[in-house]
Amino acid sequence: MNVMKLEIKDLHVEVEDKEVIKGISLNINEGEFHVLMGPNGSGKTTLSRTIMGHTKMKVTKGDILVDGESILKMPTDKRAKLGLFLLFQSPIEIEGLGLLNFLNTAKASLQGNLPFKEFMEEVKNDAKSLHIKEDIIGRSLNYGFSGGEKKKVEVLQMQVLKPKIAILDEPDSGLDVDAVRVVAENVNDYQQRAKAGLLLITHYSRILNYMKPNFVHVMVDGKIVKEGGRDLADQIEKEGYKF
Amino acid sequence: MAVNVQDILAQEDYKQRYGFYTKADYVDFEKGLSEEVVRKISALKNEPEWMLEKRLLGYKMFLSKPTPKWGADLSKIDYNDIYYYKRLKSKEGTKWEDVPDEIKKTFDKLGVPEAERKFFAGAEAQFDSGVVYSHVNEELEKLGVIFTDTDTAVKKYPELLKKFFGTVIPPTDNKFAALNSAVWSGGSVIYVPKGVKVPMPLNAYFRINAEKSGQFERTLIIADEGADVTYIEGCFVEGTKVKTREGYKTIERIAVGESVETHKGDYRRVYHTQTRPYDGELFTIDYYGDTTQQIRVTEEHPLLAVRKRRAEYSNTEFSPSWIAAKELAKGDYLAIPIDRKVTSNEVLTFEIKRRSRWHDRIEMLNLKTDKDFFRLVGYYLSEGSILGKDGHSNYVSFTFNKGEGKYINDLVSLLEKYFGKKPLIGKEYKNGISVTLSSTSVSTFFAEQFGRGAANKKLPTWALNESAEKQRELVKGFWRGDGSFMYKLYAAGAKRMFRMNTISATLATQLRDILLRLDIFSSIHVAKRSGNRQPMYVVYVGGDNIPAFVGLIEFFSSETVVKENYSMKMLLDFAIRTHVVSYAKILGNYAFVPIKAITSERVSNLPVYNFSVEEDESYVAAGVAVHNCTAPVFSASALHAAVVELVAHKNSHIRYVTIQNWAKNVYNLVTQRADVQENAHVEWIDANIGSLVNMKYPSVYLKGKNAKGEILSIALAGEGQTQDSGGKVYHFAPNTTSRMVSKSISKGSGLTTFRGLVYIGKDAENAKVNTTCDALLMDDKAKTNTYPYVDIQRNDAMISHEAKVGKISEDEVFYLMSRGIPESDAIAMIILGFLNDLTKVLPMEYSLELKRLIKLDMAGSVG
Repeated sequence: MNVMKLEIKDLHVEVEDKEVIKGISLNINEGEFHVLMGPNGSGKTTLSRTIMGHTKMKVTKGDILVDGESILKMPTDKRAKLGLFLLFQSPIEIEGLGLLNFLNTAKASLQGNLPFKEFMEEVKNDAKSLHIKEDIIGRSLNYGFSGGEKKKVEVLQMQVLKPKIAILDEPDSGLDVDAVRVVAENVNDYQQRAKAGLLLITHYSRILNYMKPNFVHVMVDGKIVKEGGRDLADQIEKEGYKF
Repeated sequence: MAVNVQDILAQEDYKQRYGFYTKADYVDFEKGLSEEVVRKISALKNEPEWMLEKRLLGYKMFLSKPTPKWGADLSKIDYNDIYYYKRLKSKEGTKWEDVPDEIKKTFDKLGVPEAERKFFAGAEAQFDSGVVYSHVNEELEKLGVIFTDTDTAVKKYPELLKKFFGTVIPPTDNKFAALNSAVWSGGSVIYVPKGVKVPMPLNAYFRINAEKSGQFERTLIIADEGADVTYIEGCFVEGTKVKTREGYKTIERIAVGESVETHKGDYRRVYHTQTRPYDGELFTIDYYGDTTQQIRVTEEHPLLAVRKRRAEYSNTEFSPSWIAAKELAKGDYLAIPIDRKVTSNEVLTFEIKRRSRWHDRIEMLNLKTDKDFFRLVGYYLSEGSILGKDGHSNYVSFTFNKGEGKYINDLVSLLEKYFGKKPLIGKEYKNGISVTLSSTSVSTFFAEQFGRGAANKKLPTWALNESAEKQRELVKGFWRGDGSFMYKLYAAGAKRMFRMNTISATLATQLRDILLRLDIFSSIHVAKRSGNRQPMYVVYVGGDNIPAFVGLIEFFSSETVVKENYSMKMLLDFAIRTHVVSYAKILGNYAFVPIKAITSERVSNLPVYNFSVEEDESYVAAGVAVHNCTAPVFSASALHAAVVELVAHKNSHIRYVTIQNWAKNVYNLVTQRADVQENAHVEWIDANIGSLVNMKYPSVYLKGKNAKGEILSIALAGEGQTQDSGGKVYHFAPNTTSRMVSKSISKGSGLTTFRGLVYIGKDAENAKVNTTCDALLMDDKAKTNTYPYVDIQRNDAMISHEAKVGKISEDEVFYLMSRGIPESDAIAMIILGFLNDLTKVLPMEYSLELKRLIKLDMAGSVG
């Protein structure tokens, strides 16, 4: 079976006329676990939104390819159909749009209709493993959820929608220790089960205590300044972003 | 985009543009209004004197009142350029070819069935709502409910009308109410007697009215003490498109039109895959006879059913009626419709596509489809398989048990008879004997018509409606292949049943349907099997259906009996048989099956799905009306001024639902008011989607203590539209409460305006008022206004007013799209979320329709 390949080539991105990403190259294959670390404001979130096709992120140079084909002109929903997924750092609240209804519609547009019973079983099982309270899944999308609930629901969406390559934008921020562990375990479990590619963006290495990434990239001021393995994360934990 | 109002408004221009009616089609009437015209209308309708007087008073008031200037711009209305009464001379309206492409395209988008399009386009003036209408009316008559069109009511119930007509909204109220009083035509009158609760929503769809133009309807609803009624006004379309259809199947066709896919091969079972977010009780109903089906419906959803009469006996009388899911109980009977139509073909010709290495060609296969042929079909469905390389069909092979020599001989002769070729009989292998015919065309025929592979076996449509004689042979053939007889003795008696197995779910339901046509009730049970094996569907026949089935399959001469020597046991069993009665009954066009279990759960924001035939059936009650609302209503007149009066007596409840989708040339100026007496409750639910200018402020006059009024409105203003809506609440009595909720959406040059009037009279001690008004803007151009008016005569009232304006953000759309949802769907989902607390009070079908309308009308790009 062919594995999905995401290539970022010398990418430059402007947001509101200001260059935020200043030439980044990164390859992520299905099955690989990458971590992207960097201080606040280094452009990590901009990168994730650009990959997913947010219209406010203007690519001025470079390219993003999936399996060798540029996706720059592709609308966001089509990128999702290729198998890309973005876990949002700050998930959007939409009052009145039921989480289940939303998730079911999303799943149907990605994978076709699933019998309702099966869908519910899947959601319930995944919610259980994430320690998401039952009443949460019956509520409006992220509306009035706590920070932790929102993050867990993001992971739930990933589990249900089954992307091939997922970008996780700070799945650990704002979580307590127990929640970080639950999120990490679920992400690990998904990655292994689905042989998915991951690009985990994080600020701290705390979550990495529970994870085994293959690659660690460090981003500062719109550029990747250092790359390495797991030990690079430990080094940052001790010394901070001094390069 | 600027809309040239003048252009669209001008009557003649509109006709030319849309090629609708010409003058010659109508009973002669001049444009414009005069006393003479009013008298002429009354005379044409053969009205009594008192009604003419009311009309003339209305006309006088109309002349004396100025056109209101406080709201939307109405200065373009030319009262002299309007026909006030029209009736088609001929039955034919517009020619379908003349309908503009734009409109045809809309119909395509909506999936409106062909026959209905003509109606909507005005191409069909005559209709007959047939079965559904009379059925509902019978129900209502039993309850003493009056439900008729206003013209009929004037003649049939003069005392009722004299007492109430024009009392809630007198002609002096405003210019348009006065106009309506003078020239009204059409509309409904409903009277619900004391204590009667009308079990299903009454729908404008059921009205019969031969007049095409309904722009001045007059509706009057009276709920007597303790009565309860819901009235749904689908977009003012008079009558329906039921005409071309037979019985209840029509509704399923609509459902097919709505949902993208139909179940393959089975035209009766339509699976909705649509969802809507639902808050409330969700009922799950299991019924005897089919463990593969479960009905999940919302609490208000009506199902065709019969109540269980006595606790310990089965019903002997079955007369089905529509019962809301929440009113059903275990033991009540659900009605499953039986398709009794017979279409029999003596000979059929099939096109067989033959693929060869060099070229494809088509071969014609003529078959005599007589009863013996159907037995052969039964053999194929049970024991047949197709062999061939790379998806080709080269051989058709049947496998029988070695003991079934009689059937093998029958099969061989049938194959020879119909295909003129002798099959090869294989050697015994594992107790089986195979019969194989080598023929590409024959095997292709079987594969295409009846499915290839056991899980895909099915019956084609032409076999489903065949004559009883042929279908009996089909069942016989199938039973010989995959049937068995089960007999077990228990202490309590003997259990006997005939079973037929298949791993094709489609075939199982088709077999059941065919047996229903043969007046044999069977049950479907699904058995999970070990490992990766597909579940087995067992169609079984038991109880008092056994004698009929025994006869059908000629059981006593069957191989099974010969082998197992069942005959003696059977005879013995028949002798000791006590009262083994089936729980299900077949009567006429229905099978009645008892409800095994009914449970409900409280759900919030749950996507609701529709399954199963029974569910589709329930669309008979309301589903058709759905299309009434979907299709834009092309009115030949640019002015629509209806009047709706509600009288809610002590302890009664009226809910009035309107979904307005007038063409975008119409001035919709409607007066709606409710007189609410002690402890009564009135709800106005109002969705405004169409029209050029809409001005509508449903009002409640809370006249008795503890009276309650609610006004919920939705307004969508697209390019060029003005939606001026809201509500008025007048508190005259102590402890009265009211609630006004308005949600509006505007896009482009569209303008939404909310006007909310609150009046607290000097006797309205402890009044409570809650007003919420939320606006959503789709882009930077769109506009919205809010004008609250408050007049308070005392100081103990509790009044709250909340207003919010929001805009759809790019981040919201991006978030939804990142999950694979296309942009237009994402926008529609956000809008629907915004409207959710209002749409959830609508009946499901309307909610679904609203969703589609929003997708069509609103879901352009976010600017």
